[in-house]
Amino acid sequence: MLEVEELSVAYGDVRALWDVSLEVEEGSIVALVGANGAGKTTLLKAISGLLRPAGGRIMFEGEDLVHLNTQRRVDKGIVMVPEGRRLFQTLTVLENLRLGAYLPKARAGYGDSLERVFSLFPVLLDRRDGKAGLLSGGEQQMLAIGRAIMARPRLVMIDEASLGLSPILTRTIFDLIVALNEQGTTVLLVEQNIHMALKVCNKAYVMKTGHMVLSGTGDELLANTDVRKAYVGERGSRL
Amino acid sequence: MGSLAQILVNGILLGSMYGIAAIGLSLIFGTMRIIFLAQGTMIVLFAYLTYWSFEKAGVDPYLSLFTVIPLAFVVGLGLFYLLFRKAAALEDKNVSLLLAVGLMYLIDNLILKIWGATPRGINLSYSGAMLVIGEIRISWLRLALLGLALASALAVYLFLKRTRVGTAVRAASEDMEATTLQGINSVWVCAISFAIGIALAGVAGVGMATVYSFDYQFGFIFAIKALVALALGGIGNVFGALAGGLLLGIIENLAAYYIGIAWIEVASYGVFMLVLIFLPQGLFGRRGLVKKV
Repeated sequence: MLEVEELSVAYGDVRALWDVSLEVEEGSIVALVGANGAGKTTLLKAISGLLRPAGGRIMFEGEDLVHLNTQRRVDKGIVMVPEGRRLFQTLTVLENLRLGAYLPKARAGYGDSLERVFSLFPVLLDRRDGKAGLLSGGEQQMLAIGRAIMARPRLVMIDEASLGLSPILTRTIFDLIVALNEQGTTVLLVEQNIHMALKVCNKAYVMKTGHMVLSGTGDELLANTDVRKAYVGERGSRL
Repeated sequence: MGSLAQILVNGILLGSMYGIAAIGLSLIFGTMRIIFLAQGTMIVLFAYLTYWSFEKAGVDPYLSLFTVIPLAFVVGLGLFYLLFRKAAALEDKNVSLLLAVGLMYLIDNLILKIWGATPRGINLSYSGAMLVIGEIRISWLRLALLGLALASALAVYLFLKRTRVGTAVRAASEDMEATTLQGINSVWVCAISFAIGIALAGVAGVGMATVYSFDYQFGFIFAIKALVALALGGIGNVFGALAGGLLLGIIENLAAYYIGIAWIEVASYGVFMLVLIFLPQGLFGRRGLVKKV
């Protein structure tokens, strides 16, 4: 579905990604893990069109995305849930959801999408007329994912879904992401909660300082000593 | 008592002009993050156009609202795509700000070239008509100006609250990148809010033509007054901006009456400084011109 081939991105003179490749198969959950500053968010921003790559290709269903702006990419079904949720705090829950379904295709399915969001996140239904900024952290994450669902995505990219959430809420959010995936949405997950991410994903990639250094199934990476040492709390890693 | 009421009324009527201009500044600041210093000059330009169509063709200023508002909107779109489109996308907002300053002086001098330096004003057959309530006398024209300000504020409020594009403008004022991520064309959102800001300059221009005499240099002062009004009211709230304008009008009239006419400017800029220091988010706004630390 999505193929990133030898992608390079630079911020001015500072190179952030070096020949990064990644593949996401339709219907799967792919996890992208790595330390802060590894380039995970940069990669997602390049895929969604917020950053222009210096080299390489991003293919979505066989089409090169390079000349498409973010608007066109969202219309194709590539939707990003940014780090820190980035909700419109002074707008109501319903207004946030309505903006998620802004483009004509998504607007046509507004009623269905809204029903889907409220069935996944019933708490949002009760809060629909309240300001998004007044929601709890978990509810805000639900709304951020719900807003993405409103766009009727084929591929949803979620950046740090569990950031700032309690372990229980993290589990809830992960269950919901799995449920979303089971309904047919492909998921690309950037996570700091590596253990959790590796458990739910079909395939995972590890990034380090702008390079893709490892990939494999979640179980393979969980069994990998370097990964365990670097991210699951054991000491003395080379990653 | 009668004179105090008269001062308040005069202040509110003067302030309605500041209010319309401040709403325009607020819209443009919200999406483009610049203080559009040419707003006052745009107002003066539309005042001249209103004056000109009255002198040449005898068009009643209030009738010319129907041509000036759409014209101003189109001028706004044109200016945005011609001048600000690329600059608005830059992180460095100084480029847009400098463009606005350049545009201000360009238009100032264009006006000077076309209409000369003599102050202009329109003398309507009904200019002197007064509404008299007890001891208070209110010029009908200035009252109409207040009506114009209220109608503008209401129209902008309904646009922002009730329309899809308006909701996108509010979203973009909060977080441009997140707005883009919804598949919303952020350039278009900036263009629309800029054009509405200029359309409001059209409204204020017509209002100015009916009650003030104006010359080519009036624009900058007026933009600064609108900025003071905006700082008073706070950004992110249409009626706050209007209220800031009315309040500034009242303060100026109080200063003129109790201290002396020469103190008007000192009072309004003094209030500006005090507000920025002690009440940076304004009286009614969610967010001020300056961020609270």
